[in-house]
Amino acid sequence: MAMQADTSEIADLIARCALRDRGAFRQLYTRTSAKLFGVALRILRDRAETEEAIQEIYIKIWQKADRYVAGQYSPISWLVAVARNHALDKVRVKRPVSEDIDAALDIADLGPSPERQVEQAEDSARIANCLGTLEPDRADAVRGAYLDGFSYEELAQRHSVPLNTMRTWLRRSLAKLKECLTS
Amino acid sequence: MSEQDKQDGDGHRAVIAEYVLGLLDPAAHEAVGRRIAADTMLQREHDFWASHFSGLDEQFEPVAPPANILPKIETRLFGAEKRASWWDSLALWRSVAAGALAVAAVAVGFSVLQPSPDSSALANQLVAALQAEGSDVQFLALYDGSGAVRLTALSGATLPNNDYELWAIQGGGSPISMGVVPINARTTVELSDAVRSGWGEGSVLAVTLEPKGGAPAGVPTGPIVAQGAVTKI
Repeated sequence: MAMQADTSEIADLIARCALRDRGAFRQLYTRTSAKLFGVALRILRDRAETEEAIQEIYIKIWQKADRYVAGQYSPISWLVAVARNHALDKVRVKRPVSEDIDAALDIADLGPSPERQVEQAEDSARIANCLGTLEPDRADAVRGAYLDGFSYEELAQRHSVPLNTMRTWLRRSLAKLKECLTS
Repeated sequence: MSEQDKQDGDGHRAVIAEYVLGLLDPAAHEAVGRRIAADTMLQREHDFWASHFSGLDEQFEPVAPPANILPKIETRLFGAEKRASWWDSLALWRSVAAGALAVAAVAVGFSVLQPSPDSSALANQLVAALQAEGSDVQFLALYDGSGAVRLTALSGATLPNNDYELWAIQGGGSPISMGVVPINARTTVELSDAVRSGWGEGSVLAVTLEPKGGAPAGVPTGPIVAQGAVTKI
């Protein structure tokens, strides 16, 4: 599949950006900007904001290129993560504070720590398969959070359930998902 | 742990996944992010979720951005004057390299004028311009004819997490490390016995990008950012 050649070429362009190669940056932008613009637009849902965000995203990519470690993530996943996290940072600051930080920080017993196996992990069939083991509306909620950047409040509204019910749903679903992904 | 404790723990266990999904509010997100950065077990959990969820990335539909975005980014990154990258102006870059060679020739010329030059050493002087397509790192190497290579970087940026390492490649053998070289200072590298045994016109010098301190196992691990064969001058 053409993806494979794409992957190594994009990894190479990121490495050359780390060497401050402006020509490589331009090529990287040409090859990947439609994907990253799509990511940011889906989460921000505002064209003007996305046009500003995409500039900041590529500035970050240029500045952080030396931190991309080939083999840890596929290069396109790394780029999507930079774009997605940037867009989420933008929507997050607009959200009402609804959570107890102490509760969030009380991180207990994560269960067995999975060793990273990237090739397997990034397999889209694997996550799709495990989402398929959840009830359809709960799988939709997980997808909505990842792909659309929906908050708990938005998810609760969309699924017409109380906020706390949505939290419980999602946390249980994530625990189930982890079981499936590690089995 | 009782069954009830496990139930109660679900929320806490899911917090890293919630972080990756972006479900935490700003203060909690930042606080959890700091915890992850400081804890390798949490990092592993974070990477587990990030890499699994990235399997959904193909569901993001590409949307072409407006054409005026790239120039804006380049201006913000590289300044309004936008100095041409060598990719954009190969001719300019070539003239820089040619100029560097001319400087080297002048330097050698001066050494000819020094009193009583060792004529055998002079006959053995070699020069190499090190460069590679796609990289703006360039070195000029001058072998003094008696066991040392003088090295000057003509261009290239220092990187916080990497070092440049010099290698000798000769006679089809494996690259031999000649050590980490600075990008912002002139250096003299003494040829080791291993390099000296195969040294001569046609030997190739290469510079690779390596982790701080140089390639850990003595074999190059990073991309070649500059290379060139040494020639008599």
